[in-house]
Amino acid sequence: MLRYIAQRLAQAAVIVAIVAAITFALIHLAPGDPFSAVMDNPNVSETVRQTLRAQYGLDRPLPEQFVRYVSSLAHGELGWSFSHERPVREVLGRALPNTLLLMGVALVGSFTLGILIALIQVARRGSVTDQVLSGLSLFFFSMPDFWLAILALLTFTYWLPIFPVGGAVDPVMHEYLGLGGRLVDRLRHLALPALTLTVLASAAVARYQRAALLDVLPADYIRTARLKGLTEREILRRHALRNALLPIISLVGLSFPALLTGAFFVEKIFAWPGMGYAVVNAIGTRDYPLVVGGVIIGSIMVTLGSLLSDLLYALADPRLRSH
Amino acid sequence: MAAMRYARLLCALVVCGCVGTESPSANNTGGTLAISTGGDPDVLIPSLVQSVQGAQITDMIYDRLADIGDSLNIVNDKGFTPRLADHWTWSADSLSIAFHINQKAKWHDGLPVRSSDVRFTIASTKDSALGSPAAPLISSIDSVSTPDSATAVYWFHARSPQQFYDAVYQLPIIPEHVWKNIPPAGWRASDAAKNPVGSGQYRFVRWIPRAAVELVADTTNYRGAPKFSRLIWSIAPDFSTALTRFLSGETDFLEQLRPENLAEVAKHPELRTKQNHALQYQFTQFNLRDPANHARPHPIFGNRELRRALTMATDRATLVRSVFDTLALSALGPTVRAYPTTDPNLPQIPFDLPRARQILDSLGWRVTTSDSVRSRNGRPLEFTLSVPSSSKVRVQLAVLLQEQLRQAGVKVNVEQLDFPVLVEKMRKRAFDASIGQWNTQPSPGAVRGSWGTAGSRATSGNNYGSYENPVFDAYVDSALSSFEPATRKAYFTKAYETIIQDAPAIWLAEPIQTVGYHSRLQLATMRPDAWWAHIPEWWIPADKRIPRDNAPPSATPAPALPAGQKTP
Amino acid sequence: MPWQTQDFAATSGPTWPRESPLALGVRRILRKPSSRVAFFVLGVIVLVGLLAPLVAPYNPAAQPDIVGLKDLPPSLAHPFGTDPYSRDVLSRVIFGARVSLMIGVLATIVSLTVGVAYGAIAGYAGGVLDAVMMRVLDAFLSIPRLLLLIGVLVAWPRLSIGALVLFLGLTGWFGLSRIVRGQVLALKHAEFVTAAQALGASRRRILWRHLLPNLVSPIVVAATLGVAHVIVLEAGLSYLGIGVPQPLASWGNIIQDGADQVATLWWMSLFPGLFMVLTVMTLNILAEALSDAYERR
Repeated sequence: MLRYIAQRLAQAAVIVAIVAAITFALIHLAPGDPFSAVMDNPNVSETVRQTLRAQYGLDRPLPEQFVRYVSSLAHGELGWSFSHERPVREVLGRALPNTLLLMGVALVGSFTLGILIALIQVARRGSVTDQVLSGLSLFFFSMPDFWLAILALLTFTYWLPIFPVGGAVDPVMHEYLGLGGRLVDRLRHLALPALTLTVLASAAVARYQRAALLDVLPADYIRTARLKGLTEREILRRHALRNALLPIISLVGLSFPALLTGAFFVEKIFAWPGMGYAVVNAIGTRDYPLVVGGVIIGSIMVTLGSLLSDLLYALADPRLRSH
Repeated sequence: MAAMRYARLLCALVVCGCVGTESPSANNTGGTLAISTGGDPDVLIPSLVQSVQGAQITDMIYDRLADIGDSLNIVNDKGFTPRLADHWTWSADSLSIAFHINQKAKWHDGLPVRSSDVRFTIASTKDSALGSPAAPLISSIDSVSTPDSATAVYWFHARSPQQFYDAVYQLPIIPEHVWKNIPPAGWRASDAAKNPVGSGQYRFVRWIPRAAVELVADTTNYRGAPKFSRLIWSIAPDFSTALTRFLSGETDFLEQLRPENLAEVAKHPELRTKQNHALQYQFTQFNLRDPANHARPHPIFGNRELRRALTMATDRATLVRSVFDTLALSALGPTVRAYPTTDPNLPQIPFDLPRARQILDSLGWRVTTSDSVRSRNGRPLEFTLSVPSSSKVRVQLAVLLQEQLRQAGVKVNVEQLDFPVLVEKMRKRAFDASIGQWNTQPSPGAVRGSWGTAGSRATSGNNYGSYENPVFDAYVDSALSSFEPATRKAYFTKAYETIIQDAPAIWLAEPIQTVGYHSRLQLATMRPDAWWAHIPEWWIPADKRIPRDNAPPSATPAPALPAGQKTP
Repeated sequence: MPWQTQDFAATSGPTWPRESPLALGVRRILRKPSSRVAFFVLGVIVLVGLLAPLVAPYNPAAQPDIVGLKDLPPSLAHPFGTDPYSRDVLSRVIFGARVSLMIGVLATIVSLTVGVAYGAIAGYAGGVLDAVMMRVLDAFLSIPRLLLLIGVLVAWPRLSIGALVLFLGLTGWFGLSRIVRGQVLALKHAEFVTAAQALGASRRRILWRHLLPNLVSPIVVAATLGVAHVIVLEAGLSYLGIGVPQPLASWGNIIQDGADQVATLWWMSLFPGLFMVLTVMTLNILAEALSDAYERR
């Protein structure tokens, strides 16, 4: 078991190193240098530009630049964000908690909702309810993230204005509210983006979980339970669900990239001040260090997510535990 | 919104319409003004600001020595009102002006404002290491001397009608003690830039990027406390969100409504609109030099007749109506109607498609291929039109123009670029054509930089299209050095006539700014160069207050003060 | 719908066995009513895209009256309304179908080619090469595809549509090549391969004649899902303004055109989006049915 964990950790480290190499290649394969486009001020003198290039090592030979790059990454340095006039680390560090909050809520929400839907479907498999729910989950599963977010925005802020239109808090009033008021304000702003992301993700979970449940239903122990006279509902709850929950752990890891991508668009459309929002804005301002920083952090999140779910899986699965 | 280039200029059409005249009732202070805006300020340092948002906020935090009058007079000091300087004296030869600093004026951290701050402001702006876009605008100032701590003397290279305006309008004064130890290249990124200290009627509280900027009234200000106790810029990610926040009552003010929004605003009985003749004009700019080799004329736009034909092929009136409805006038030339020196009847190149086709034919550009694009010696009549993707209005103009020129057999490829990328391309003169906009200043003299030879050769010059005509330059210089209004106007008219006939650009629109505001606001006069200039005089009647008006003055303490200083 | 069969057959090389597993798959899934409907709907969308110039009521680029006909809500004359340039949104959606589907199919072809080659080589070679190739693959898989594409597209602004297709394809093969590798590994030791080896067949011949044909079912399923995925991705990138360049219309582009006025020009977001969902949904239904069909084989 320990060996497995060590192996898996080493693997994750290698992956992160390769990701660093890929992003480095990205920066250097780009035409021109990423700084010329950012320094838009006509009055910035060529000397200042040169200094900046020297600061970032852009005038050094490539291998040296790569070593600099990796060592600065290892120190948590992600470069300088021109559009924010702050270190990239600081910009993303401030945004990350918001993204994690959004993703966390959506993760819990979508797994609860998704598993519930799958249970209902399997309990009544073949019924109209099952088919309708299948259709619905397929519909939402097929929906581009950004389009659902646009529709949600249109519906619930313009046509039925029950939610505020964007941001994590009311920019005008938030600082002046009491503790309770602030909480309510935050929840009001969180509701719509989190709901959108939850709906998107739960469609995938429901589809996956339904299939997983149907897979275990014909298993021997379930047949035995059926022979013992347990009702279908009891079988589902006591046996099938328990066994179908194991794959859920790996699904959590698998769903990370999708959630992150979803959060990306949801953040943009609801102006949720998370990582995706920061990166989308960096696209417009050609703030390349920030874009690359976002790619790296996103990749680390995904790697960690799958590492975590693999480890949990190993802990939960008796067959792996004995190793 | 980043696309709103802010080069400060001004004009003279007085927009009147003081909505609320001051009530005698004492209780007109307090309350919160929430302004919807579509983007962050770029920076909160006056000498570096280029965005409109940045200008609005720094104008509240910082003070100038004197402020321009509502008439926007720029000749000598007529109409200028005292700010940090309570009075000033001209030297006999007019080559220097001595400003006396108001002795009650204090920085928000409690230190007094001194003449050395004034000297520092000018000197730091002129320092090329800072890279201030305002530097070329104060080139007439030689230096500032400080005979004593209350007197700052501006020395000028030469006597000119606008020397007073140059001295006070371009730059609010910044505190030397905050900035002197920071190397100029590091100003933008410094902590000082994130906690600006000024001497204006509002003091800085916080800036949460992409969310809000908050200022509170400086109640002990030497000019008295402003009426609103709190100003908040609610920063939306895009125009659509800014509009929704305004419509829903989350904010009180929106600075630029589009024609398609007017119907929606009209559905809200509590909302009002008001027009402001802001000093801006839009145009399609041609690069007269070959982007690949600046020594050569542009293979297409180097020809004056061809440029004139392109203008003739453009139905400018319809274009402007499509994009702005009634909220813009056709542009006259590189100027705005608000300048007293602008003749509103400047002769124009008319819209005449058949004539345009004829000219193109006669120049040898003929339709030979089946795709109906003209060509000459195998070179198709095709060019790239670059627009900033952040400005929907300009993107719209470009796509419409593309279709209109197609009918004349000209192929236009619209290229949407992010604003910084576009600016870089223009700066390097590496473009074919672009849709530009100048938000200009009270002085029509800005054309020297944007269309004169002076701004063409240097890369820091704003004459991106490299239009060079000594006749135009001479008329502009004559106009600017003349003290007599009628002569000024006559020379400017000659200059404009020259450039219009040379057609270095297709002059498109002069947008009329339409602001939206909640009826509970009592606005003061809006100055065409800066609608926000009189915000300290805006107020809200006590019976129209809502919960956000009664918020305590500041939720968090203002920036820490040096030991021994006390704040109200 | 012979066009689809031909499309896929053309991508997979001529050495396939006569009785194509694809034909089998198609025959099987058409038994299910839901996939029959999906097949029909997708067929209609593809046909509409192919015949766009005949089907579209207006020229998608024409600006008939930029003052009088702009920003019109849906009506009989313009069922999907008009855009700020007085262009007919229905016609643009129809022409957009062409662009979006074409990008989806072409990018998927790129993904398939690279993914199959990579997976087959890794699986067949085994050993150190396999291990290295798989770690690199893991790294690529852990970069969210959207972020990777954004990183690339921001670095190379204003790409041609061909380059966009290439990048979409080059970021889409990671998952597939892992499946292919797994299949190859499993098949490598299968009896018929051992038999072929015993008969003296060369490695290359084994790879092409025996292994690849057995990969067809996972590839067809992955291709179907891949097209759906690329359509959504392309729309997302175009919505962010770094996908299909103007003035070409794609579904994402049309939504982008109306994005700054979503509330006023809602029809510009709604209709292209509906088409997109419909297309992606039918592709998902078909992929599911296909994988069911192959499992039952």
